[in-house]
Amino acid sequence: MLIDKKRVKRNKALDKFFRGFFMAMAILSSSFIVIIVLFVCAKGISPFLPGYEYGQVDLISFLTGSIYRQDQGLYGVGFIIINTLISAFIALLISFPLSVLTALFIAKIAPKKLSAAMQSVVELLAAVPSVVYGVFASGVITGIVEWLASLFGIVTYGGSSLLAVVLLLAIMIFPTLTSMSITAIKAVDPNLEQASLALGATRTQTNFKICLTAAKSGIFAGAILGLGRAYGEATAVAMVAGNKLFGPTFNPFDITRTLTSTMLAGLKETTGLDYDIRFSVGLVLIVVIFFSNWILNIVKKRIGRNSVA
Amino acid sequence: MNRLVKDNILKGITYVASALSVIVLAAILWYLVSNGLSLISGDLITGDYYATTENAAISPDYSYTEMETQEYSGKGYYSKKWGIALEDITTAHNDEEISVVYVDPNSPFTHMNSLVAGEDGMELSLSSGSAVQNIYYEDQNGETVFLSRVQMKDAENTIKTLEEAEGIVSINYESIGGGIRGSIFATLYLILISLLISLPIGIASAIYLHEYATKNKINSLIRQGIDTLTGVPSIVYGLMGVTVLFPVTQLVGATSTSILLGGLTLAIMLLPTIIRSTEEALIVVPKSLRDGSLSLGATKSQTIFKVVLPCAVNGILTGVLLGIGRVIGESAALVYTTSTVISDNPSILSQGTSLSLMIWSIMSGEQPNYELASAISLIILVIVFAINIIVKIIGKRLAKSFV
Repeated sequence: MLIDKKRVKRNKALDKFFRGFFMAMAILSSSFIVIIVLFVCAKGISPFLPGYEYGQVDLISFLTGSIYRQDQGLYGVGFIIINTLISAFIALLISFPLSVLTALFIAKIAPKKLSAAMQSVVELLAAVPSVVYGVFASGVITGIVEWLASLFGIVTYGGSSLLAVVLLLAIMIFPTLTSMSITAIKAVDPNLEQASLALGATRTQTNFKICLTAAKSGIFAGAILGLGRAYGEATAVAMVAGNKLFGPTFNPFDITRTLTSTMLAGLKETTGLDYDIRFSVGLVLIVVIFFSNWILNIVKKRIGRNSVA
Repeated sequence: MNRLVKDNILKGITYVASALSVIVLAAILWYLVSNGLSLISGDLITGDYYATTENAAISPDYSYTEMETQEYSGKGYYSKKWGIALEDITTAHNDEEISVVYVDPNSPFTHMNSLVAGEDGMELSLSSGSAVQNIYYEDQNGETVFLSRVQMKDAENTIKTLEEAEGIVSINYESIGGGIRGSIFATLYLILISLLISLPIGIASAIYLHEYATKNKINSLIRQGIDTLTGVPSIVYGLMGVTVLFPVTQLVGATSTSILLGGLTLAIMLLPTIIRSTEEALIVVPKSLRDGSLSLGATKSQTIFKVVLPCAVNGILTGVLLGIGRVIGESAALVYTTSTVISDNPSILSQGTSLSLMIWSIMSGEQPNYELASAISLIILVIVFAINIIVKIIGKRLAKSFV
């Protein structure tokens, strides 16, 4: 048998090369997360270090401050962190029950055709870009908020308010929550359901008591994902948040300020403290998301331990 | 009986909850259609965002006696004498204007020479869509009279005045702004740049993760790194873009934030999407195909390029489509990297806005323009929804392909 030794050698070398190339690309892809964290950290921390060229900022007063006024050089993000947490959590509270019920409807209750149609509705809602939600929010949701406020005799800032942000975020995280819940509910072991039915429970009782309980770990994972999206949502939120200079905001009809809307406010500067401080706010956002995920994952493990599945 | 009632109530609640999401989707579509649909036209898509002013005199070669203008029965007020129809409109910039809706091919307004310095004598023709600012005309005594924008009042009055005129001397008009051509091009550039970079990296990464990677610590670390990218808010990608990637664009000559910078930033954002959809397609390719190729003497890389990848082409296409949808919809990451300055003639190294960013730009200004924003939103939604449907069809075909 004739074997072209040169060719075999070349093929082997090529094979080795491609293996190395694929691996290098995979390492490159995953190293971006490190690059992001490193560079945002480096730039975000710089204003707090001594010898910072535009005048050192005090880290403690930055993290605990309750006034954010660039014109007076007051940078306190403490109240902004609280605002961000409040708006995201209330949005989750509104969206969570609705999305779980919708997921149950799609996965178990609805007739086949209706279920497919509803699934498409959820997918379309997920595909709507955030800036389009922003246009909708500043055109419709602010109007609803203004009307609600007028019932209480309150005058709002054109409808821009904490409530508008909450409603907007509730709508925006709904598709994420729902699709994660659908996956979790569909993954429930059919044996569990059949056991429940065999014991005399009705279909609906089984759906609510067995499926939801067994799927709660997956549903909770969806909630964590949705919350992360709510923290990081930028352009849409900035359209209806208003830019409150102090806080925190607890009145639903008052304007608010979130970490992301702060990062987008007044983009005219390209150097200086006002520019660099945005990286510090971005760093705070990363830390908030990280800690929130960390705590919620611990809670999720607790819940998962008692879960049937 | 009691149990039945309870069951039905619970069932009813799920129906109500689902109906709410349908209502929200319908409300969004209704709002966008009712506000933006009337603006959508060829002019919107091909037009400039910024209005340009033209000043032109009727060409001396034009003979009033030889040219016969036709009757016209469309909308607006028509002057057969001058072959021009005018109409009152509100522009995308929210200004009241008198707009040209029809110009007869034999009208004097189609035979004009520019009076603007630098373009002297350039042949001009008034086109429909322009807004008339002022006109010099000859009255019965042969004297030139100036008709200002204020004196015109509205389209009806202007036509009435012109009908009494003996001749037209010159006209000052503005092309209507509010077009989105520049942003469409910027969006296309962004799609092209981001996909050109993220596709090879993403596909190669997916191949490594699925075809080569054995279960060990380094590989699970690589996978974790890529998974974490999905959870990073897009605004943070923007921050990363201006610090890490800006020096890269400076190497090729960018002096400020640019579309190239935005494209590079988006390329990194797209990586997890491309990797995941490619990997999902690789999973579906049966192991027997790989074994067959290997046992025939092909090397592993030959198997991947000639057997595995052609089978995974649908999955890669899904990734590309999802990526395009993501680029079209992205705004937060681009605010820092391409700037929010709307450009009519964007180039890769200049600033500019994508369609989404243009919405953000016109909504966050002093006077938000809801109509234009809704019109652009509507265009974006149609594209994104179409992509969604195509991806679904491909997904169905992919599921069937190896059964």
